[in-house]
Amino acid sequence: MNFERLATDFAGIKMKTPVMGASGTFGFGIEYKDFLDLSDVGAIISKGLTPLPRPGNNGVRVAETPGGMLNCIGLENPGIDGFLRDILPRVRQEAPDTAFIANFSAGTVEDYGMMAAKLDVDGVDGVEVNISCPNVKEGGIVFGTDPRAAAAVTEAVKKNTKKPVIVKLSPNVTDITVMARAVEEAGADAIALINTLTGMVIDIRTRRPLLGNVTGGLSGPAVKPIAVRMVWQAAQAVKIPILGLGGITCGEDAVEFLLAGASAVAVGAENFVHPDAVVRVAEDIDAYLEAGGMKHVSELVGQVRL
Amino acid sequence: MLVLSMLVELGYIVENNILSDDVRAMVIQAPQVAAQAEPGQFVMVKNESGSTFLRRPFGVADVDRERGRLLLIYRVAGKGTRELAGLEPTMEISVEGPLGGGFRFGEDGASDGCAGRDKGGRTLLIGGGVGVAPLIYTARHLAELEPDNKPLFLLGVRSADELFWQDYLKDFTEEIMVTTNDGSAGKKGFAIDAMPELLEKYDISHIKICGPTIMMEGLAKLAMERGIECQVSLEKRMACGIGVCLGCTFEGKVSGKRWKICHDGPVFPAEEVFER
Repeated sequence: MNFERLATDFAGIKMKTPVMGASGTFGFGIEYKDFLDLSDVGAIISKGLTPLPRPGNNGVRVAETPGGMLNCIGLENPGIDGFLRDILPRVRQEAPDTAFIANFSAGTVEDYGMMAAKLDVDGVDGVEVNISCPNVKEGGIVFGTDPRAAAAVTEAVKKNTKKPVIVKLSPNVTDITVMARAVEEAGADAIALINTLTGMVIDIRTRRPLLGNVTGGLSGPAVKPIAVRMVWQAAQAVKIPILGLGGITCGEDAVEFLLAGASAVAVGAENFVHPDAVVRVAEDIDAYLEAGGMKHVSELVGQVRL
Repeated sequence: MLVLSMLVELGYIVENNILSDDVRAMVIQAPQVAAQAEPGQFVMVKNESGSTFLRRPFGVADVDRERGRLLLIYRVAGKGTRELAGLEPTMEISVEGPLGGGFRFGEDGASDGCAGRDKGGRTLLIGGGVGVAPLIYTARHLAELEPDNKPLFLLGVRSADELFWQDYLKDFTEEIMVTTNDGSAGKKGFAIDAMPELLEKYDISHIKICGPTIMMEGLAKLAMERGIECQVSLEKRMACGIGVCLGCTFEGKVSGKRWKICHDGPVFPAEEVFER
């Protein structure tokens, strides 16, 4: 892999490749160390953190669907304090030179600010503000579907941290560009899209929803065309860089997102299937660049021909 | 304890035989995973040419380290397993593993650090349905370490159609007690109905169970009442198998900790899973 060709500065976060492990699918990165070299990972985006530890939702929490999966984990996590005390030091020990982005959400604007302040520490290279978890009230979805609320959260976070701030948007809105502009104007350094699409599966034998939480978030290859479309729309609407994700399983998928206007990408559900996916996607992008005689991955960004 | 490392290996099908209407036995050539898998661990497999997205978890039913093979015994229950059942010898299959921690052996169910041998009286293995699969490897392991003290086996199945398990178990067990739901073989009823007789006849100090939750709960409570060291192997829908998706977590009854079945289990002490 030619890291010169792939090295990416995403909103001030320096990464060896433009390929990250998406929040909720990559643990804290270190869970993958048997399968890949963590130093080849562009950035680790943490499981979603919340002000207090959360056990998550009851009942069935994952289900396979055509071309993907539904989940309603419900933001199970050790809480911000447990993360800072027990996990971050281990991450920095095992992946000292890999960018680490902390994903978090909260139930109030004030708590978003508090979380940002707590994460403004060494070892965290950036924060991803989750205003789009469809599975819990405190997952921020109420902020992610209202542009004024999204802006208020973004401002609160920006006020409380010096780290680059990425705001992760929900696709469960009528017009993604409205949300993208709202958080850009509020000071976001970048946006990430898409989070999962709300979906549902019914067990026809019991006539009950399969998932314990009734609905869940859809991810995997099934959502990719929607994600590419939304990245492309958002790229027309804002100047800040875009982290594109949703259904990426290979380098070709990632290149689509880059052409649509993303400056970096993240691999999500595919990590569950092929735990080396983040590195393999970067290698595939590199091969595409080489084959096309390109010197740097940035040459692809937004170059879709209309 | 041996430090294991998980890996993804592209193996191929050696056999994919029909054991009953809906149960199949798949032998996979996957030497790297076979070399490391311990009793009670599992693998996640994927037919890369298939139409399903996620891998499917299966307990390792046995390994043949010399030939580099894994045995999986599975029930055809949905689209994913139906596609697996259609695979033929020489076809490729991706195997991720070995996953989880497996059964613990020793005095109190903690690893004894070397031989992996249960100490004290006798070990009773109890399997229900396809939950029998990981106990085949476990039985062989125990029998090879102590040929004079082979484990007992309580086999709880639906009907006489599922007695094929005995062929896998007979060489590694002292006695196999059978219960069938319909009474077509062995004792009619559920596994727990055979317990009074077994407890009467043998000095049982360790119980290891794998089967449906409802079955394990009753048996585990009985074991706890009698003060018998008991481990249960759990199953829950999971996406990753490596402790990341958090689809399979639960709260430990004694410790209060959030456990990941795939990563911290699938085997747990009974008291951590079921109320006394």
